[in-house]
Amino acid sequence: MTFRTRLLLLFAVTVVIAVVFVGAIVSTTTRRAFGRLDDQRVSAVVAQFRQELARRQREIVPRVKDIAEADSTLAMAICLSGADADPASCVEDVQPVAAAHNLDFLELVSSNGTLISSAQWPARFLYQEDWVTRRDDWNSQPPFLKREELPNDTALAITCVRVATVADRKLYVIGGEALDREFLSSFVLPTGMRALLYREPLTLISAAGPVQQTAALAPVISELRKRRGEVTRTVEWSGDAASAETFHAIPLIGPDNELMGAFLVGSSRAEEVGLERFLRRVEILVAVGGILLALLVSLWTTARITRPVEALAAGARAVAAGDWKTHVEVRSDDEIGALGAAFNHMTRELLEQRDRLLQAERVAAWRELARRLAHELKNPLFPLQITVENLQRARADHPDQFDEVFRESTATLLAELGKLRGIIGRFSDFAKMPPPQLETVDLNGLVRESLKLFEAQMQAAGVTLHLDLAADLRAIQADPAQLGRAVQNLVLNAIDAMPSGGTLTIRTAPQEGGVQVEVTDTGQGLTQEECDRLFTPYYTTKTHGTGLGLAIVQSVVSDHGGRIAVRSEPGKGTTFVIDLA
Amino acid sequence: MRPSAWLPLAVLSACAVCGAATRPHYGGTLRVEMRAAPATLDTATPDAAPLASLVFEPLVRLDASGAPHPCLAISWQHDATAKRWQFNLRPGVKFHDGFALVPAAVVASLRSVLAGAVIGAAGDTITIRAERPGPGLLLELAHNGLVFARDAEGALVGTGPFRLASWEPGRRATLAASADYWGGRAFVDAIELQMGRGLREQLVDLEIGKTDIAELGPAELRRAAEHGRAVWSSAPLHLIALVFAPGHAADPRLREALALSIDRAAMHSVLLQKQGEITAALLPQWLSGYAFAFPTAPDPARARGLTAELPASARVLALSYDPAIPAGRAICERVAVNARDAGLTVQVAPQNAKADLNLVEVRLPSLNAVRALVDIGPSIGLEALQPVGPTPEALYESERRLLEDFRAIPLFQLPDLYGAAGRVHVFQPPAITRMGDWRFENIWLSGAAP
Repeated sequence: MTFRTRLLLLFAVTVVIAVVFVGAIVSTTTRRAFGRLDDQRVSAVVAQFRQELARRQREIVPRVKDIAEADSTLAMAICLSGADADPASCVEDVQPVAAAHNLDFLELVSSNGTLISSAQWPARFLYQEDWVTRRDDWNSQPPFLKREELPNDTALAITCVRVATVADRKLYVIGGEALDREFLSSFVLPTGMRALLYREPLTLISAAGPVQQTAALAPVISELRKRRGEVTRTVEWSGDAASAETFHAIPLIGPDNELMGAFLVGSSRAEEVGLERFLRRVEILVAVGGILLALLVSLWTTARITRPVEALAAGARAVAAGDWKTHVEVRSDDEIGALGAAFNHMTRELLEQRDRLLQAERVAAWRELARRLAHELKNPLFPLQITVENLQRARADHPDQFDEVFRESTATLLAELGKLRGIIGRFSDFAKMPPPQLETVDLNGLVRESLKLFEAQMQAAGVTLHLDLAADLRAIQADPAQLGRAVQNLVLNAIDAMPSGGTLTIRTAPQEGGVQVEVTDTGQGLTQEECDRLFTPYYTTKTHGTGLGLAIVQSVVSDHGGRIAVRSEPGKGTTFVIDLA
Repeated sequence: MRPSAWLPLAVLSACAVCGAATRPHYGGTLRVEMRAAPATLDTATPDAAPLASLVFEPLVRLDASGAPHPCLAISWQHDATAKRWQFNLRPGVKFHDGFALVPAAVVASLRSVLAGAVIGAAGDTITIRAERPGPGLLLELAHNGLVFARDAEGALVGTGPFRLASWEPGRRATLAASADYWGGRAFVDAIELQMGRGLREQLVDLEIGKTDIAELGPAELRRAAEHGRAVWSSAPLHLIALVFAPGHAADPRLREALALSIDRAAMHSVLLQKQGEITAALLPQWLSGYAFAFPTAPDPARARGLTAELPASARVLALSYDPAIPAGRAICERVAVNARDAGLTVQVAPQNAKADLNLVEVRLPSLNAVRALVDIGPSIGLEALQPVGPTPEALYESERRLLEDFRAIPLFQLPDLYGAAGRVHVFQPPAITRMGDWRFENIWLSGAAP
């Protein structure tokens, strides 16, 4: 993963985490604030409800009492108290009385529980209403909630019972006020809130009329039935969270502790949900903006940091590849600029040092070459000088032996001159080695061909050959003659390093971008100093040879664009590794 | 004259005035209102029957006890089988157009009424040969056998105490006393009849003095009585029944459940002010003699059991009623209450053509039980019934079979009820016969000029 990508991810993650964290805090705070506000508003509406209910309960008592004490009711009671009382005469009497006293429900029940007249359901005359005869103290009883059966509906009513008594006969006056739409309309509700009235079973009304979707409120009612206490639950009317409404339900309990219905205060969550959605949208926008900003910052940062670093890295790779003239352009006056300047200074110094080193090595190499040449030339020149001096002495001192001495001396002179020519010839060969003629070469095949030349020699030296040639070695571009000579020089060196026999291992292997050849012997090995000087012309550890073999190998490998290295430790053999492209 | 002689004279004069005030006298116009609004004075139309009885007359009439009395026939006899009857016409009777009553006119009138009978005339005698023995022939003739003729302009004319002076179909009619009436001229000079008036409107008109005679429903009866009005009633002649519409409520259990849930006694006591009689039969007890055999008591437990067998969707019924039926709405609402106790839902609405069942009122089509049973079924939407025989047992069996599937649920038999204003006096009661006929020739009005 690049530095730029890492930086971008880091910025983006930081922004997102920050946004999410802040968003969560804001959402939670908002939700709590809405919750508190909702609680206050619900409490206010519930207080309104309790006040209104209490007021209606207070006001219904004197109205029903007035009816019970009215002359017309007394006359009716007297009429019904007779043995031959005809309730039919009173059936229609109650409706105008109910209207006059502004009562929604009014019934007259005789002392034996027979319904004489009903304002809300006239057709129920002569039905039994035994419940009213079970108490004797109605005149001191407070109003209570009652379910009123109607022809096409049921209603919930604040009901009051008062009794008109004539002799031992009673006439029960049951008056009631409906808890209906008008009751709900009396509430002053904040925006987003509504009041509903639930009547068992499954009837729901609002100030606007019946509410059809009762199924969604079933869990609220179910819990209300279980707990018989106030319940708060949130209901979703559709799949949209904005349709949710939190209901606070207050049970309406009848005189026998049965659940008659409930007063529900609904508080729409649309505003809260809308705000949450808005906050979420803002969060997303901020997060996206943050990510874009992170992208820009990362781009800017990478422009200021990564590119110079990449340029430095590229420069370092170029230097490693051998281009010591690499110069990195870093225009900043910060640490990156200092690093670039240091890099450029380093490469300049390296160049200078390399030049100096090269020059020194060149001088050292010339000195070594001169030394070796002087040493090589001195050997045949000394006999040449002695021979010529012998000739001079023989001519001067022993003229009679001069012809014999002349013949011996000329033979010696010619032999030593031949040696001189050989030395000069090898030097000349090394000096004027031509550039390689590249062609496609099968390295494994070249190795095998080269080894054939040394089969007899290896057998004589007791050297065991071990080949580990890679089957999938690709062909390379090389000069087969020069490369073959290099391989032969290495093989010859290895054989020479094992005068008492040993194992010669030649290994080829594919490498990334090229091939590798290893020539390993099990000879006496080399010291580190010997390894450092091994490729110097005329340097040799052998008692024979020109000391140019490995120099030629190095030159061939270098001309092929490859590298040669040596691994060796005294007593552990030597391995030459050639890497070719 | 001595002053002391004035006193007895004054007393006598005062007595004369008072006596005159209480003695019947001629004159005045009797104002009558009725619910029905017949388009014609066709003697065969039940709605026109009370009115027709003032203009047309039968051969025989029934008295208060239901016994036949001479009218256009002064006497009659029949053979042993009661299949052959002979009626002797009253002489000197004239139609309102002045022409004498002749047997041919009687024969022509009766042929449309007595289908299947051979009617002949010889001299002043009318002979009737019935297919079957007809002890009820006299009742039939008394109720439906009005004699009529057509004058030169083709209008119907009768022999009754009043003649038709003007006729606005369905709205108003004026009857003038017939000076040549064989039974003596009616006391009042004329009768003004307002048709198509609702019961409540009639009661209001009666109370404010806008009418002299008004029909009353049970709900109005008590009020009229409280105001001191005279109340006249006939025998129960109107059947009030619930009838299921054809193709509705196919499940007999539903119909039976409804029938068993109805508490007739409470409705009769309260809504109908105990007028008429509770019934579960098509014919009134006084006519059939076996109406009591049809059980009227509710059976709520069985009704609930039958309802429980029905799917919930089949437990809803729509009940319609004609607002003109006395206490119709109250009866329907009470039926709905009773049905609810049985687990049925009955939705009440007036004049709903798509209702499952209807509250109907049907006037007794004939005083002949066989004829009445045959005619009453189709009049309420049931199939025509051919009784297996004329005997009460056969009629009972026939009626039982007609009602056994509960397609019709008879509830009450109601009488005609009328209230009369204070100035209305009846010289020779009744002003309304047991059969509901108007005998207004016996009415005189106080306050009218002698």
